[in-house]
Amino acid sequence: MSRFFQYLFDGLSSGAIYSLLALCLVVVYRGTGYLNFAQGEMSMFCTFLVWKLNDWGMPLWLAAISGMLIGYLGGATVETTLIRPVAKRSQFAVFVVAIGLFLGLNSLAGAIWGAPPQETMPSLFPNEPDDFQRIFGASWRYQSIGILIVGLVVTGLLFALFNKTRFGLAMRAVASNADSARLVGVNTGRVLAASWGLAAAIGALAGTMVAGTTGEVVPGLMFSYFVYASAAATLGGFDSLGGAVIAGLTIGVVENMAAGYAPKWIGQEMRLGVALLIILGVLLIKPTGLFGEQKVSRV
Amino acid sequence: MSEILRTHDLRAGYGLIEVLHGVNINVDAGEIVVVLGANGAGKTTMMRAISGMIPRTGVVDFLADDIAHLSAHKVTARGIAHVPQGRGTFPELTVEENLRIGAHSRRDSFAADIDYWYGVFPRLQERRLQRAGSLSGGEQQMLAIARALMSRPKLLLCDEPSLGLAPLVTRELFEVLQRLNSETGLSVLLVEQNANLALEIASRVYLLETGEIVSSGTPDEYMNNDAVRKSYLGH
Amino acid sequence: MALVTIKRNSPQHIAVRVLGVLLVVIAVLWVPTKMTTGNIDSMTNALALVIAASALNLVIGYTGLISIGHSAFFGIGSYATGVLVSKYGWGHGWSMIFGALLAFVFGFIVALPALRIKGIYLALVTLAVAVLFPTMMKWPKLEWLTNGARGISGIRYEELPSLPFLGELKGRDDRTVFFYWYAIMLVIITVLVCRGIVKSRMGRALIAIRDNEIGAEVMGVNLATTKTLVFGVSAALTSLAGSLSVARTGVVTADGANLTLIGSIVFLVVMVVGGAATITGPIIGALVYVWVDNYTRTASASGEGLIGWLFDWSAVSPASIILSVALIVLMFVAPDGVFGLVRRLARRVVVIK
Repeated sequence: MSRFFQYLFDGLSSGAIYSLLALCLVVVYRGTGYLNFAQGEMSMFCTFLVWKLNDWGMPLWLAAISGMLIGYLGGATVETTLIRPVAKRSQFAVFVVAIGLFLGLNSLAGAIWGAPPQETMPSLFPNEPDDFQRIFGASWRYQSIGILIVGLVVTGLLFALFNKTRFGLAMRAVASNADSARLVGVNTGRVLAASWGLAAAIGALAGTMVAGTTGEVVPGLMFSYFVYASAAATLGGFDSLGGAVIAGLTIGVVENMAAGYAPKWIGQEMRLGVALLIILGVLLIKPTGLFGEQKVSRV
Repeated sequence: MSEILRTHDLRAGYGLIEVLHGVNINVDAGEIVVVLGANGAGKTTMMRAISGMIPRTGVVDFLADDIAHLSAHKVTARGIAHVPQGRGTFPELTVEENLRIGAHSRRDSFAADIDYWYGVFPRLQERRLQRAGSLSGGEQQMLAIARALMSRPKLLLCDEPSLGLAPLVTRELFEVLQRLNSETGLSVLLVEQNANLALEIASRVYLLETGEIVSSGTPDEYMNNDAVRKSYLGH
Repeated sequence: MALVTIKRNSPQHIAVRVLGVLLVVIAVLWVPTKMTTGNIDSMTNALALVIAASALNLVIGYTGLISIGHSAFFGIGSYATGVLVSKYGWGHGWSMIFGALLAFVFGFIVALPALRIKGIYLALVTLAVAVLFPTMMKWPKLEWLTNGARGISGIRYEELPSLPFLGELKGRDDRTVFFYWYAIMLVIITVLVCRGIVKSRMGRALIAIRDNEIGAEVMGVNLATTKTLVFGVSAALTSLAGSLSVARTGVVTADGANLTLIGSIVFLVVMVVGGAATITGPIIGALVYVWVDNYTRTASASGEGLIGWLFDWSAVSPASIILSVALIVLMFVAPDGVFGLVRRLARRVVVIK
């Protein structure tokens, strides 16, 4: 049983990160109808900035908040200057620009901070070897507990933003019917920029936590996390915040259990394969995901 | 009577195609102005041009300020509410949320307004926590109008509210519009294809054909005009 | 107004076309006779990209299905050649044909979801394929076939077939020249297949699908067959490029540049930079790509020229940075790519009626 709880807990902790990044994808998708392929690279780049600020002597928590602010401004700027102008032309143009951002941010990070030499990154949470608690025979590391709590808190704040605030209502209105939103006086441009900014800020936080667990910042930091998050968003149904969170946690638990109980067949190497098979399976069987609306364009 | 809206040489279209070829209309305070026109005459384009949903040239004077260069959300903030064709409610939001977002351009408290509209449309109150997408066509149209009026506009643009509604529901809707007009002095610009009921509540009438205003007059003149009766009144 | 107007199929028009073909032939002959071995090798690399980008163009440019999974088809060709030649002693040609058939089947399967979904959802399926492929190749359970993460190396041909006009091929230089001609042959096949598809009834169906899917169906286009078939053909052509690259380098690893998602992105960059939905676009795109890559690599290494000075601070070659900026800028100023831009400028000078 202790193995079960270990896999469950580890799964929830990594699932919390997938959920956060999936929320970023969903927030952007609901506002604009685009999948931001550069989401992972945007958070990777912000994480490098957090690391650099910390390296210069800023306390890590302050560096993380600064990174989120920079992320917000960066995300909003990208939406207004790069995405919105080409969005009028076609969805393919948006896709190409996002791919350009993906490639550009990745290579820029490599160029500025060097590709292979890893930069050591401290964790936001206590992370000494004996910083853990034993519950049900499983070791619950403070770091993992911290990630899970941050994940839940951010999710809660997002829900409050969307459901309790005037601006959140405006964001949901834009997602529901952009034309009517303009007619009731919503500045849709500002809402879209804010969606991208918000997604980038949450991404920066997620990236900082990921780098804290591995202890290093590399250009490929968020790559597999982006794939997991896409799987979570797909499973959750792309326009559902709650769906993204539940799906993220589920995928985290499922892949940890799969890797743990079938070390020969799946193991560490094929963990990503589990997530990818979920994407393929969901899209083949139920393209709207478990919690999605009917918005998927069916042929 | 003071003038609330005046357009001069209003031109608009989609892409390279011009649909409106210089429209001149005016609405005075407290009037219900009806614009009649066939399918494709440019009625919806005219409404969208006035509310800033599409790029346009010419003059749109609202309360003596030119608003032709403003984007849609700023036009709304000035005091024009537009109920688009097909109602344009937010199907994923609840009825109450639809009303709340209607007051987005206001900074003051609007709880009393929501209660007021529940009083006008009791059926909306019964369904206040339901998603707007689950309402019937008539209920959605009432919601759309209530939502538009949540911003306390000085001018209401109504684009074919009767579309897809049963005649009885349409009549009820127009009675509400007329009551609002007489009780609160709300000015209304209404475009309609089925003109019978619209003419009953109209103060003045314009006729729009292929993007141009071809005539204007009182409702009585139109009801007694054979050509108009044939084309727009169906009898 | 154009300066010159030429009638279609008039003697002048034919003369211009003959001149164009002549220039291409001279360029193709000039490369292996006058260039250094290293540059010939770069050209062969560019030709592999021409094949992959042309294949991707069939799917994205002409049919409007977004794919970032073509690196997997490149990988299927690479591994088919790598495994069959080194472990089973097949000839390269047969391994290439087998790889193409395998890729066709896989492409067909990947396209099946496209029958129900489109847009970003299909992009996600192909993303999954692109990421899954290298993972699968490194999977311990398949190590007996793929050598796991080490990959397969030393894929060599003891004897190269002697081509009639090249004489006997010996040593590194001759090998390079051989693979150059080999690549030219594959490019010709690819271009002919793409041209054939695009100019045929099926090509018109593809464009109809891209521009208006429901309209296309009403017109009587069989969406399911057309989409899956095109995806299959595109995958098969891409695998040729993979097979060619392995033959040229003698090595295949799961993390090789063109086998990972980065490969798919490179193909996309080549296609968009050159000009989507044109036959010539991917050819120009590949030449531009390889030139930028080589030029920036040397310039930043030596610190010379504008690029060297601009990217003095950069730890690695700034080629990807320049290309990604170019990609975004192109979407703003010339969404039809370099070829589209050149064509538009040329039409200001010469108009063919």
